[in-house]
Amino acid sequence: MNMFTRNDKSFDANAASTTPARDKTEVPVAPLAETKRTPPSAPQTYEVATPQTRVVSVISKALKITGQLESTEDIQVDGEVDGDVRGLSVKIGSNAKVKGTVYGDTVELAGTIDGKIEAKKVILTSTAHMSGDVVHQDIKIESGAYIDGHCRPELGKAANKNTHAAAKPAATVSAGPVRDKAGSVGEIGTRI
Amino acid sequence: MPALSRLALVPVPLGNDGTEFPASHLGKALTVKGRLETTGIVHIYGIVNGQITADRLVIGAGGVVEGDIIANDVRIGGRFTGRVFARHVTLDGSANVTGRIFHHTVTVAKGARIDGRMPWRPLNFFERLEHLREAQ
Repeated sequence: MNMFTRNDKSFDANAASTTPARDKTEVPVAPLAETKRTPPSAPQTYEVATPQTRVVSVISKALKITGQLESTEDIQVDGEVDGDVRGLSVKIGSNAKVKGTVYGDTVELAGTIDGKIEAKKVILTSTAHMSGDVVHQDIKIESGAYIDGHCRPELGKAANKNTHAAAKPAATVSAGPVRDKAGSVGEIGTRI
Repeated sequence: MPALSRLALVPVPLGNDGTEFPASHLGKALTVKGRLETTGIVHIYGIVNGQITADRLVIGAGGVVEGDIIANDVRIGGRFTGRVFARHVTLDGSANVTGRIFHHTVTVAKGARIDGRMPWRPLNFFERLEHLREAQ
């Protein structure tokens, strides 16, 4: 504590003439130390800005997360997640693995999910490997996708938001029959 | 990378790895509860609760991390509570740190708030730590 306060004083003494507002440092009166300081923070933002122009959060290839992810924005997963993922638009990349439930407005799967998908709009691409149930309002399954689980349409959920009854037949090409089967049998455990 | 002359003295295997794997970016709105493990770079602008193991970690201004960090190179511009085990630590002016920072080299910018200790450790301390990572 002593150190702390002492530093503060000396800081004030030194900087009283230079920077009155401490929080907005580094911009104005910069001796050597500060000019050095500013550049690092600038490249940092550049680094960040370049890879993710569209996607807000990226879990890259080499990253493994054990636990829950929650976001009110988009998430792109290219790594491994052992736990639930919640986001607005969730994309699971082709080499990604998720063990757990993926919630979202839109879920696009090109990788592997061992668990469950709950989303308004679900897209299973040709490289998708889905072990578990899919709860959806609108689903698209590309040829080559693997599903082992039930596909259940949940029209009741958030029905007030969208009139999906109307939107659905138009939007889903291959999903029509799938949905019917799922409704009655709930068994689509093969390659389509 | 930021021209910290001290970093040049000690070989850090981070730049190369980082280019191989694109950096992970945890945006503002993202909250993670749990453990993060990577051999690459992680940028955190959201909230993370849990242990982080990475080659290079950046907690951006506005980022909040609670837990232990084990990395080669750590840069903190946000709020951090916990322990850091890193060869090189940089605290930006916007940093707010509570806890302990085990380091070999450290840079602290004017304006950083630090409540805690910053023990120096020889380089081999961090090597040993890497073997013990999982036990940590």
